Formats: sequence, structure tokens, C-alpha cells
Amino acid sequence: MSDATPYIGRAMKRVEDPRLIQGLGTYTDDLRLAGLLHACILRSPHAHARIRRIETSAAKAIPGVVAVFTGADVNDSCGAVPCAAAIPDLKAPRHTVLAGDRVYFVGHAVAVAVATDPYIACDAIDEIEVDYDPLPAVVNAMEALKSGSALTHPDMGANVAFTHVVNGGSDIDAAFRNADRIIKHRLYHQRLTPMPIEPRAVVASYHRGEGTLTLWTSTQIPHLLRTLLPNMLGIPETKLRIVAPEVGGGFGAKLNVYAEEALCAHLAMRLSAPVKWVESRRENAASTIHGRDQIGDYEVAVKNDGRILGLKATSVADLGAYLQLLTPAVPTLTGLVLTGCYKIPAIRFEVVGVYTNKMATDAYRGAGRPEATYLIERLMDVVANELKIDRLDLRLKHFPAPGDFPFATSCGVTYDSGNYQGTLAKAKQLADWDALMADRKAARAAGKLFGVGVSTYVEICAMGPSKAMPAGGWEWGCVRMEISAKVTVITGVTPHGQGQETSFAQIVADRLGVPIEDVAVLKGDTNVAHYGRDTYGSRGTAVGGTAIVMSVDKVIKKAKTLAAHLFETLDDYVVFENGKFKAPGITAREIAWSELAAEAYLAKNLPAGFEPGLEASSFFEPENFTFPFGTHICAVEVDRDTGEVAITKYVAVDDCGNQINPLLVEGQVQGGIAHAIGQALFEQTIYDENGQLLTGEFMDYAIPRATDIPEYTLGSTVTPSPVNPLGVKGVGEAGTIGATPAIANAVIDALTPLGVVHLDLPMTPERIWRAMQTRTVATV
Amino acid sequence: MWPPRVRKVKLTVSHSVPADRQRVFDALGDPAILRRCIPGCESLTATAPDAYEATLKIGVPGIKGVYAGIAAISDKHPPESLTLSFEGKGGPGFVRGSAAIVLSPGEAATRVGCEADVQVGGLIAAVGSRLIEATARKLAGDFFNQLSKEMSATT
Amino acid sequence: MYPANFDYVRPSSVDEAVALLQKHGDDAKVLAGGHSLIPAMKLRLAQPHVVIDIGRIATLSYIREAGGTIAIGATTTHSEVETSKLLREKCPLLSETASHIGDLQVRNKGTIGGSLVHADPASDYPAPILALEAEIDLVGPRGKRTVRADQFFVDLLQTAIAADEILTEVRVPVTSPSVAYIKTEQKASGFALAGVAVVASPSGVRVGVTGVAPKAYRATAVEQTIGNQRTAHAIELAAAHAADGVEPLGDIHASAQFRAHLARVNTRRALERALSR
Repeated sequence: MSDATPYIGRAMKRVEDPRLIQGLGTYTDDLRLAGLLHACILRSPHAHARIRRIETSAAKAIPGVVAVFTGADVNDSCGAVPCAAAIPDLKAPRHTVLAGDRVYFVGHAVAVAVATDPYIACDAIDEIEVDYDPLPAVVNAMEALKSGSALTHPDMGANVAFTHVVNGGSDIDAAFRNADRIIKHRLYHQRLTPMPIEPRAVVASYHRGEGTLTLWTSTQIPHLLRTLLPNMLGIPETKLRIVAPEVGGGFGAKLNVYAEEALCAHLAMRLSAPVKWVESRRENAASTIHGRDQIGDYEVAVKNDGRILGLKATSVADLGAYLQLLTPAVPTLTGLVLTGCYKIPAIRFEVVGVYTNKMATDAYRGAGRPEATYLIERLMDVVANELKIDRLDLRLKHFPAPGDFPFATSCGVTYDSGNYQGTLAKAKQLADWDALMADRKAARAAGKLFGVGVSTYVEICAMGPSKAMPAGGWEWGCVRMEISAKVTVITGVTPHGQGQETSFAQIVADRLGVPIEDVAVLKGDTNVAHYGRDTYGSRGTAVGGTAIVMSVDKVIKKAKTLAAHLFETLDDYVVFENGKFKAPGITAREIAWSELAAEAYLAKNLPAGFEPGLEASSFFEPENFTFPFGTHICAVEVDRDTGEVAITKYVAVDDCGNQINPLLVEGQVQGGIAHAIGQALFEQTIYDENGQLLTGEFMDYAIPRATDIPEYTLGSTVTPSPVNPLGVKGVGEAGTIGATPAIANAVIDALTPLGVVHLDLPMTPERIWRAMQTRTVATV
Repeated sequence: MWPPRVRKVKLTVSHSVPADRQRVFDALGDPAILRRCIPGCESLTATAPDAYEATLKIGVPGIKGVYAGIAAISDKHPPESLTLSFEGKGGPGFVRGSAAIVLSPGEAATRVGCEADVQVGGLIAAVGSRLIEATARKLAGDFFNQLSKEMSATT
Repeated sequence: MYPANFDYVRPSSVDEAVALLQKHGDDAKVLAGGHSLIPAMKLRLAQPHVVIDIGRIATLSYIREAGGTIAIGATTTHSEVETSKLLREKCPLLSETASHIGDLQVRNKGTIGGSLVHADPASDYPAPILALEAEIDLVGPRGKRTVRADQFFVDLLQTAIAADEILTEVRVPVTSPSVAYIKTEQKASGFALAGVAVVASPSGVRVGVTGVAPKAYRATAVEQTIGNQRTAHAIELAAAHAADGVEPLGDIHASAQFRAHLARVNTRRALERALSR
């Protein structure tokens, strides 16, 4: 070790940051290639219409315009956009890269113009004339289920894409028969727009001589693209290189195969010139996937003493017009953690996926788990209030004991490890719970609307066992001790802000006993990282990090063999400590990496049968998901006059297992809570009743800003995961999952003195004000 | 209600025009008068009885779009009421709608009540939603002001 | 996000700018800080053929006192208004209001003249401009004319300025510290859902309201109701008239009803704050 203290566990600043802060990062739009052409896409202004005619001659006539293509020109030669979700009896429309004779949502790509500069490409778009025959649009998933509803895809005959039912645990009907009371509640998860600061961007370049295509794209999943694009492009994966340069935010929105990626590749091949397309903010709002949009009806069977016997959920998921990569899978994930942290013996979960004339929904930060957590955590409060039981007691009563892990839930998954009582106790302590309750009492006595909300969550990370993952859930990694004794680490995960260039270097530097500066982590290029399943579902460190650990250990093992040869002894007598190889009792000589690496590569004196070099790669297949958990406590004050919510205290105690870099953990939690503040209080994607998107810009779609973020008090407990040797669980989505219900519960708690028992998300000032109006006399 | 139901723009405008009902009714079907009164109207021609083609340059200062559109008058009950339907499209998006217009006699003037449903789509809906209703209201106001001037000038 | 083709000219004087406006008429737009025009151009909502950039005309950027009034040049940025020592001491309402505009980047580039001429119904300045009874100078081919604030805002995005005129100066009176601007922000854009500016003096109060109606307005019913009363009860009664006689805007961010309510709440709060200063 280069330093007495290990790197693992240290709150280290990210090695990525200096280049990003100084504007030295290379994003897709920064790429400059000789002869680069620029594409601009014409998009539908209608939610649903028949295209009678498209006239492109005026656009083609503009000097500098290289080509203008419509669906008729490309859809036969460029394959359909794939959906990887395996749902039985799924009905799916063919998702062509450009619209055929109909458009199905506002923002649907209709035509593309390619020109020598982006201004001309936009000019060309303005000159394309499309004659639309507008048709009735389906915009409300509940309405879409009614007989006689207009159809999103008239040729499919129905709006339902699939129905997915899970019955788990003991007999659900018996649970409801034995209940003293059945509590029903309807909860909505509004549609959200991920809004990464960097919109999507693609550069495609085709080498006619080699027959190779290189695609730079702002994506989370270069490897999955390399697996899925060959079917669309007719190029074998061996001729396809995908590069994800710096990615300015993904949040799940870039966990997808988009029509534009295939389209740009197709154009580059067809035009024999590199083609760039950079999404505008407006296109991003309309044509990059949205999140959530689930409407659920829930029934809880309870005994009067508070025991929960069973839970029934019926959820309608608004899928939008098309299936993107995981569109139908996301709402089914909700069913996997429906019971949250609680022992609930019986469940029934039914989700109906419905097509509407809107942009597709898909994985957005948390993907399915925020929906589950919001509902179970709201329901715990609803049940506690209805039965007049303390909400923390109700939760504690249903927690499995730390000794119950691994804990098999009635949803069919097995929680790896946990100590839910521990995070709750620590959060109460950090929040100074008794003082907080006294504050609430005093505030209420003074006529203030002061509320405290709690959420105890569990979620699913480290995705995941390949059996449960459509494209395989393993991860690949490679570690190479170079001849210079510097270390190259190559990971198949594609970090885009999570900081694994730092945390993986910490892991490797510790294990190899080298300074962290000597470790470089490479990623995001399929010609460099040959295998990978990329970054989503908080899998990077737990799955990808483990593949790295396995590879380091193989390198050390091989190095020991070489050291033994140099010591003229057996492998078993060689000890590796602090970056040095020794053979205690045999020789006083120590061999450092610099010497050993030179021996390995110069290969003048190798043991018989020893392959030169010090490199190893590994595939890690996780046996289970991991299940991080935590407790969030939020205090709010609601302005009686304006309905505005001020978060006055925020405490989060998260347990993501062992922490490689606590600073990165904290950063993920902070960002995650920020997302949740947005969802709880103001974010919502709005389509009007004609399917027009009204939140097409930052002027109309509110995302949290620094001034919306309160001072956080963050804490953690550590319950290592037994699923991987690092004992880590994952933390990318925890903040978002845990915080939304804590904030929602706090706002409703604040309004409880007025008799308000429910509010839909987002809890905007006007919504709160209206709820207050129905309960109290308006005050000015 | 959820998902949030956002009504398309509904516009209720009432304006007093200094002329008798028949004259106002006739004016609303007179292409020459309409061309002068419709804000930003650059051309308006009758393509059939009660059907028109028009080019409008409308919007607000600095944010004008050129729209090519068609309009048709139906449900005519002279001099009491008529329905005007219209559809226009241009670079910034499209506008569609219909207006039920009711004329009621007043003192030396006709009260023109107009209930319009307006649908706006495309870019203007995506980025201009907060201004659409106010703009529509203003355009309607401009139209009736001009019509009033037109009527008093020729009285 | 690529604007249509346009020509760019940078006059060095107001006269030159006016001559350019005359020459190009409807095809031209004046650029000052660019925080309304440029976004509209990038969306191609605005497609002027000629952009006349007055941002470099040095003589248009100043804040100075003369004869009991403070004169502010058209291209003075919001952040200059916000931080001006002179304004903070002698007309604090304008500085206070400027501090609520957009974010720091917007305040560093956006100008008072550009904002007023654009007359966005939810922009902040119109409220204090009305409450202060400011005067606005417009220069055109026929020379200079002065327009009173209450004559300046004509309608949605429409002011008294003619197509061939340029706003050159805004003049506000020196006031006592008994002023306040209270605003509820639209969460996404930061524009006002209801912004209320109050200027109080022993003889009465003046109230300007922005964000609520298609154009900013003086809440005369509030002014008349409160008269020279100063009790909490009088404030409350007066504030209740904040949206009288206007047809409030309604959109996805706030219904007409809620905007009217916020106008009343913020009027009460602005009165309370102004009168406590």
C-alpha cells in the first residue's frame, strides 16, 4: 500500500471532476470529423394523425442540403427499434425509425434532413411540407381502457399492451376474508421528464473500406447497443464500435436504443459521410423517454391491532405510443418490492400496460421501485392514521428482524441483508425525533402548518442475476499491470457521473498496493471494453466492481507464480503485502511491481508454461440482487396563504452496504433526494387533452434548483451484502426512492389539522391551496 | 383529477359593434371586410360559398408566425348566429378551432357573443402555453375593435 | 435550436439605430441583452431578417441622479440595477425587484430597456415601474417623447413604443424606504405568477401588479381602499381588491383563480413590508 490508510472507505474527490469542471471533457457534440454532415429531424406536431403527403422538394433544393428522407425512404432498410422486455402476450406495434403513414405522438420523427451545417439542416426542415389528417388522440390511460375509447394504434384493435399478474405469499383471498378492515386508496405517479442537462447526441461514421461503423452516442449502454443495433443496421457486431464519451446525465433516459441512433448510423452508411445529430431541449422533452405515469388502486387487509395481512394492487401503466427498450418491464419491477420493508404475508399485483398517444415511458431514476415505495410508504401512514396507531410503531411491527435475512418476501424476491430497525433508530436520533415532535406540537399550537414525514424504504440494486435480466445481468472487467507498473483497469459498466473512474481505482490501488494515481480506469468504448452490460439499476460497483476484484485477484495470483519463480520457491511460500512480493523465511528479497512487471513482459526469465504479461479479465454473475434500504425523515412547513412548502429539516440514513467512497455515496444520495423533491413538489409532464405536450421547455417543466434543496443531514449504517465480495449494494437511486414518500408524508402530515388526508403528486402550491380551501375559510 | 386535465383554450368574448344585426351578420361573411379586420390577414379569398382560404401573419410583436389556413361558415341563422370553423398551420405549429357566434340586438349596436374552442399544437403549444390564451383573447379583441371601426366608418 | 438566417448590425449611436429601424421596418428587431429575443430566435418563433444590436452603445448604460429623479439607461443590466448604490439608497424598490429577476446569468445580461419593451406579462419590472410612476423616453425619427408608465403598457407583449422607436431611458423618483416587491415565482421559469410592488408614502400607497393579467396594472382599488390608513385590518381589506377588474391569466402553472388569490396575498404582504420599513 502506498499509504497507511486504505483508499477504500475514504471520501475522495473524483478524478473525473477536474476535466469536467474545467470544460475539458469530450461530449458527443464536441466531436469534429472531416466532412461531418448534420442531421435535423422534423417531428410531428400532432398526437395522432394520418400523413397524407410529404413534400420534400423545396427542402432538397436548398444549397447545402445533402439529403432529405422520410419513412418511405428508410424504414425498409433500417430495422425496427427493439424492446427487450420479456412479457408474456405482449402486443407491440412495429416501431420504425421514422413515422410511416401515421404519427402517434407529438414529437414522433417524420423526416430527416442532412446538410453541411446544422443551420441549413434546420432550414431544410422548415421547408418540408407535411399534410396531416388529424385523428382522435388517446391521452388518458384510464379512459383508454374504457370500451369505445379511441385507439392509439387503430390497427392493433385495443389499447392494452399487456396484463401482468403476480400472486405471492399466502392466500390473498383468505387474508382479505380474515381482515378486520380493508383500507382502500388510489395513488398516482405523475409522468416525469428526465431532463438530463446534456440532451441526446449521436455521431455516426462509416468506413467503407473496412465496412466498420463507429457510433458515438450519449448513452448509458454502449454494449447493449452493440448487441442490439446489428439487427437494425445489417452490420455484424464485429464491425460495430460504440463509444459513449462523457455523458451529461442519464437517469435512465439514456438506457435505451433510440431510433435516432440507428437512423444516424443508417445515414452515415447511405451517404458515405459522418453524420451528427444533437437533440434540442424541445426534442428532448418530447422525444426522449419519460418516467413513471402509473395510476394505482390499492387495498390493504388489516387487523385492528395493526397487523397487515395482505395487499392488493391494481396499477395502470401509461406506456405512451411505443415500446422503448424496457417500457413494459418498468411497471412490473414495482411488483418486486411492493411490500417494501415489511412482512406482508400475501400480495396480489396486477399491472395493465396501456398505449396512449404520448412519448414512451421507460426507466427513470428508480424505475418501478419509486412507485412501489411511494405507495407502500403512503399506505403505512394511511393505515396508521386510520387505525390510530403510531406510524413508526406500525412500521417497526412489520420489519423483519436482522436475523431474518436472507428474507424471502411474498413478492418472490429474497432480500440479501438488512437492519431496518438500525436505520430507523439512527434517523430518529439524527433528526432529534422527540424535539421534532415537540416542535410540531408547538408550531401547530401557534397555528402553523408543520408536518413530519417518514419513509422507510428498501429497493433493488445490483441488477442483476442474468435469469432476471433480459440481456444478461453479468458484468465484465479487466485489470492489466502494465510493463511500466502502471495499472489499466477496463470496465464493462459505463459510468456517466457515478464516479467509478475513482472508486474502481480505489479498489484496485488497495488490492495491488499501488498509488491511486497509477491506476487508470477505461470504459465506454466497445473497442476498449470488449464486454459489458453497462450502467443502470445501481449495478456499477456491486456487479462491475466485483468483476474488477476477480480480475485483480487473478493478476496477483499470476504475479505470485512469477515471484515464486524469481525467489526460486513455490507459489505457496510467496506473500503479497503492501504492493511487494516476499517469501518470508526463504529470502529477505522483496520484489516490487516495477520489477515484476518488467520480468512479465520482457519475458527473459519466465517459469515453464507461464504466459507473458500480467493481465486478467473476468465475468461476474451475481447470484441475487442487492437490497439497500434506509429511513428518511422530512419536516416541512406549509404556507397557509400560498400553499408553498418549505422543507425545514431533511434527514436521510441510507444503508448501501460497504462504502467504497463515502463522498460519492453522499453525492448520489444528495442528487437522488433532489430528484425526489422535484417529483414530490413540482415536476410533472403535462399533455393537454389533444395530446399536445405543454411542458416542452425548462420554462414550463420545473426541475429542482440549488435554491430548492435544503440542508441535508445525512447518515448511514453499514450492513454488508453477502451477494458480492465487496459487500456493496448500490446507491444510485436510493435518494429518489426513499425521499419522495418522506416529503409527501410530511406535507400531508402538515395539512392533517385541516382534515386533509390525501393529495396527489406533485404537491404544488395551488393543489395544496385548493385542498386547504375545501377545509378552511380562505384567508388573505 | 389525474392526469391533469388541461382544457384546450376556451374563449368567451363579447363585444359591442355599432351597427344593426343584419349588417354585422353580413360583415362576418364579407371577405373584404374580414380581410381588413382579421389581425395580420395578408390575403383572404373565397373558395366556395362560405369557405375561405387565408394567409395570416399573427402572433405578438417579435413572435409572429405566418399561417396558411382555411375557414368555413356553417349553421347560419341570419341575423342571429353562425359557426365559424378554422384551421391554420405554419412554421410554429397549428391552430384549429371553431367559434359559435351569437348576435343579439342592443341599443344602436349589436352585441356579438363568441364562444370559441381553440386547439393549438406544435412548437407554440410546447413552448408558449402560458401565452396562448392571452394571445387568443387579444387577437379576438383586435378583430372586434377593427370590426367596430369598420362599421362606424361606413355608417 | 439554430436560428434562421439574419443580418447583424451594431450601430454606435441611438440615431444610427433609429435610422436602421426605419430602413428595415418590420424585418428588424432590436437586440439589447438578448434574453427574450435570442430564445425566441433559437426556437425560430422570431425570425427577424436584421438584428440591430444596441448593446454596445455606451451612452445607453448608466444610472444617475438628476433633480429628484434617477435616470437609468436602457441597456443597464438587471444586476447593475440590483447592485447600484444610488438606487439602493434612493429608489430601493427597483433594486429589490431586479434581485428577483431570473438567475444570476440572466441578470448579468438582461437589460431594463429590453425587458420593458418586450413587456412579458409575467416579467418583474412592470410592477415597480407602475408603482413608481416612472417615465420612459422613446426616441424615434420624430425625436424624443416621454411616456408615463401607466400609458406605456398597452396589452400582452405590447407597449406604447412604435416600430421605429428605441427606448432610451427610464426615470424613477427618489422614494422613502417604504417600498416592497413580493413575488410568487412560477416554479419552472422564475417568472411572476403574481408580483406586487408597493410604494408607500404618508399620503397614500401605489401598487403595481405583474404576472396576473395580460399586462401589468395599477391596483387602484387597493390604493383607494387603503387611502392613508395603516392598520393591519385596513391592509387586509385593501389587499382583497388586488385583482379587481382584471381578467387573470390561467395556465398549467396557476389557474386564474389562484393567480388572483396570490395577487391578494402578495399585495397584503407587500403592503405590510413596505409600511414596516
